[in-house]
Amino acid sequence: MNDANHASKIARIIEAYPADRRFALAAMQDMQHEFNYIPAEGLSALAAYLGCTTAHLYSMATFYKALSLNPKGEHIIKICNGTACHLRGSVNLATEIKRVLGIEPGQTSADGEFSVEYVNCLGSCALAPVMVVDGMYYNKLKVDQISGIIDRYKQEDAARKDAKDGGDDD
Amino acid sequence: MSNTLTITIDGRPCTCEPGEYLYDVAERNGIHIPALCRSDAFEDHRACCRVCLVEVEERGRRKVVTSCVYPVERECAVYTNSEKIIEERAVTLALLAKRAPSSDVIADMAREAGAAAGGAAGFDRLVTLDDEKCILCGLCVQACDSLGTGAISTVNRGVDKKVSTPYDEPSEDCIGCLSCANVCPTGAIEYTQDATSRTIWNRTFELAFCERCGAPMGTKAAVSRAAQQTGIEEPHVCDACRKKELADEMMRTYRYV
Amino acid sequence: MINGTDKILVCCGTSCIANGALDVADALEKELAERGLSGDVSVSVTRTGCSGECEQGPIVRLMPRDLMYYRVGARDAKAIVDSIDGTPVKKLLYRHDGQFFEHMSDNPFYALQHKVVLKDVGVIDPLSLDDYRARGGYEGLKRALTMTPDEIISEVEKSGLRGKGGAGFPTGRKWRSAAGYDEWPKYIVCNGDEGDPGAFMDGSTMEGCPHAVIEGMIIGALAIGAEEGILYIRDEYALARDHIQHAIDDAYEAGILGDSVMGTSHKLHLSIVRGGGAFVCGESTALMASIAGRVGEPRAKYIRSVQRGLFDKPTVLNNVETLASIPAIFRLGGDEYAKLGTGKSKGTKVFAMVGKVKHTGLVEVPMGTTLRTLIYDIGGGIMDDRPFKAIQTGGPSGGCIPESLLDLPVDFDALTEYGAMMGSGGMIVMDDRSCMVEVARYYVDFLCEESCGKCTPCREGLRQMRAILTDICEGRGREGDIELLERIGRTMQDASLCALGRTAPNPVLTTIRFFRDEYEAHISRKECPAGVCPDLTRFAIDAQACTGCGMCSRVCPADAIAGELKAAHAIDPDKCIACGSCREACRFDAVETTRRMPA
Repeated sequence: MNDANHASKIARIIEAYPADRRFALAAMQDMQHEFNYIPAEGLSALAAYLGCTTAHLYSMATFYKALSLNPKGEHIIKICNGTACHLRGSVNLATEIKRVLGIEPGQTSADGEFSVEYVNCLGSCALAPVMVVDGMYYNKLKVDQISGIIDRYKQEDAARKDAKDGGDDD
Repeated sequence: MSNTLTITIDGRPCTCEPGEYLYDVAERNGIHIPALCRSDAFEDHRACCRVCLVEVEERGRRKVVTSCVYPVERECAVYTNSEKIIEERAVTLALLAKRAPSSDVIADMAREAGAAAGGAAGFDRLVTLDDEKCILCGLCVQACDSLGTGAISTVNRGVDKKVSTPYDEPSEDCIGCLSCANVCPTGAIEYTQDATSRTIWNRTFELAFCERCGAPMGTKAAVSRAAQQTGIEEPHVCDACRKKELADEMMRTYRYV
Repeated sequence: MINGTDKILVCCGTSCIANGALDVADALEKELAERGLSGDVSVSVTRTGCSGECEQGPIVRLMPRDLMYYRVGARDAKAIVDSIDGTPVKKLLYRHDGQFFEHMSDNPFYALQHKVVLKDVGVIDPLSLDDYRARGGYEGLKRALTMTPDEIISEVEKSGLRGKGGAGFPTGRKWRSAAGYDEWPKYIVCNGDEGDPGAFMDGSTMEGCPHAVIEGMIIGALAIGAEEGILYIRDEYALARDHIQHAIDDAYEAGILGDSVMGTSHKLHLSIVRGGGAFVCGESTALMASIAGRVGEPRAKYIRSVQRGLFDKPTVLNNVETLASIPAIFRLGGDEYAKLGTGKSKGTKVFAMVGKVKHTGLVEVPMGTTLRTLIYDIGGGIMDDRPFKAIQTGGPSGGCIPESLLDLPVDFDALTEYGAMMGSGGMIVMDDRSCMVEVARYYVDFLCEESCGKCTPCREGLRQMRAILTDICEGRGREGDIELLERIGRTMQDASLCALGRTAPNPVLTTIRFFRDEYEAHISRKECPAGVCPDLTRFAIDAQACTGCGMCSRVCPADAIAGELKAAHAIDPDKCIACGSCREACRFDAVETTRRMPA
């Protein structure tokens, strides 16, 4: 993404709200949604718009779990660690993901493909343990299913990349 | 005044206005309650260190309250050293001492509180943080905000909370005024200063000097910010010299009267 | 005969959607269209909110015949449509002791419930204002509009309604004090930031019947004189937020919200604020700080938020379930509502019952129902008929209750006497394979991250508790650890700034109180009796009991189990990571746990 495009997206998100501190969280959530994280320039632009300092917003951005200051991977794997999922072995899911991808909850793989995170209850306790990849629910998941699921995402990416590379050659 | 209240603190009668904070009433009457996150510099208190807890007996019920923000509204009996308070203060200070093992102030307070509670041996087992002095009282952030600077804030939440500048980088908003360091009860905010500059929060500031006596007047950034905020011209001489200048001028003026 | 009155209700709550309910609804519509049943003589498909028994989803119900189908797939569409005027699809019916049951009320999971708040959830299309009105929706508001604020508040006081978010503060008293302040503007705020891990009552209510929450808010606003209201909804609840927004839009269009509420001179504007993802924002002052665009840190509450709340103005903050109870109180009358429940806890309570119980899901029962009824009669007992060990109520603020207290009535007061609390309604059932020390550590771990970190006892107390509990779970527990945990816990209860910190030690203190022997086993014998803590547990296969089915080796993530088919398998202790997957998978109870460390 080029810088001008980036800046104009940030401006559009910010200016959708009145210049009132009470919309700080909402504007940051929109940025999170748009970029998968809150870019530093987004934070300072919002501070200037709302008339507060970057430190005020930085404090919020590190406080609320819905916000992140680091870019996340292309695929976001959420392991529900609500109580029901915990009792039914969500920690083992994380251990297995670490074995397969080499990353722990809170980390992003070196190739930028996957981020793994623990999330609080997703409200599907009856289907525990639950893992969600890019919004797709995997219910009553068993540890041995994980590598297959991750492989599928890798294969899809590879296929898409091949198709794109092939297209470029034409 | 007719609606003045009389309460007892540790058995001693004390008068106060309704709505006055309990801590202030005690202090005024010479009863010292230990506290860390409270400063006379501010009207609002964060009530987060929990060291100034006391027990209040009101309408037959006893409860633990935070004296720095507890408004006295009716007659009551206050106990600053009941068995419960002694125990809870000892635990709270022990927790702080383990968090900030490098702070002598906290270590002393914890030792004293522990001794009152019958020894602090049980706390040996608790984990300590490395080289930490900060107790997260938040006074530094409050000071920075109250001056309108807003360069530092709390970062993260829960056990990972800390105070810092955004991204732990030098902050554009910081003016190096030292308000944060000066208000800190444990000396946790470090800075260095040499003949011409001061470094704090990873940023180095040039100092401003009095054109008359040559004494340092703070950082240039802080001097110009103060001038901006008060709407006066940026001063070139220090407070002491300015006062002397004024006095000299008066002398000259009145000599002919 | 199909005559245009038939309806197919497809549960599209979060869990059923995760199980493919939307595909089921689409398949049913396609099937109906192909048979020409979507024209004049039509069968409609309604995508409803959560019908309750999430584990058995997706759930489909044919009305008015009241045929209830469980675990439905898109492939069943044809058979289901056939059954509208034909024989029921047997394999989708509720089955018990070899018999099949057709109706909702035949299933004890539903038969023993009493739905007031959830009356319309799972029955109506949550996106349809007409559906809501057809079942008495906004009738309560109409009645309230003929009353003075004082009469409205008296009606709520008569009902005995108490805050269902957990604290149980009398709603009528809260409204009355907010109404008493002569300062404007005033605000009404709905707390939809359900953060307990293992609870989804409020999410399901907002998803399944958003208008009930809105109607409750309007009535509350009339009572206190608020002209602006805010719903603070948890970030993760996308569906709930969409449905509430849709309902707000419809209510504006219908003249229920806006500058004239139902043609009267009352004004009310409602908007949604997305939560930032912080459990502590369930605390009222933290929630209000968050709405104001600040970090969600609580403040000392010697001046209550009914006097100085949102933007420092008088504010009533009620939780979703409390507000959703209001319309029924005005439709039925406060006296009628007060007939349900116990002495000081009136009405009903919604619970999310999960964990190791057979029928998990959303349950609404009168206050005072016993835990035993909830777990055994409604929930069907423990999974695989294993022994019950504990039920955790009230989430991270609550406690673990042992078998000996199962006959306690669940209301605001009974559980509190035992250091637990009813809380907002999360209930997690645990069997003998749940380690109570590990459960305590789990909650403390959760709170270490979710505490705002402002005050010393909560932040530092949790840090130390986590370190001690981790030591105990990993075999480094020492004599005196239990007493130290209790000492820190007691100080946290008294000295913390907000309710989160004051209740944070409850999971630790209640497990110590009721399961002290389990702590002692970890500390002095280096043994985890439940066979959960990996550092203390060694897994082995009982060759006598093993049938050689191979299930364990298939689920083992570490490839640690080998054996010929139909011959006893064995676990390689060097490869075993002690995750317990094999034990969960084994249907013959052949996986045993023993002590790993010397005592």
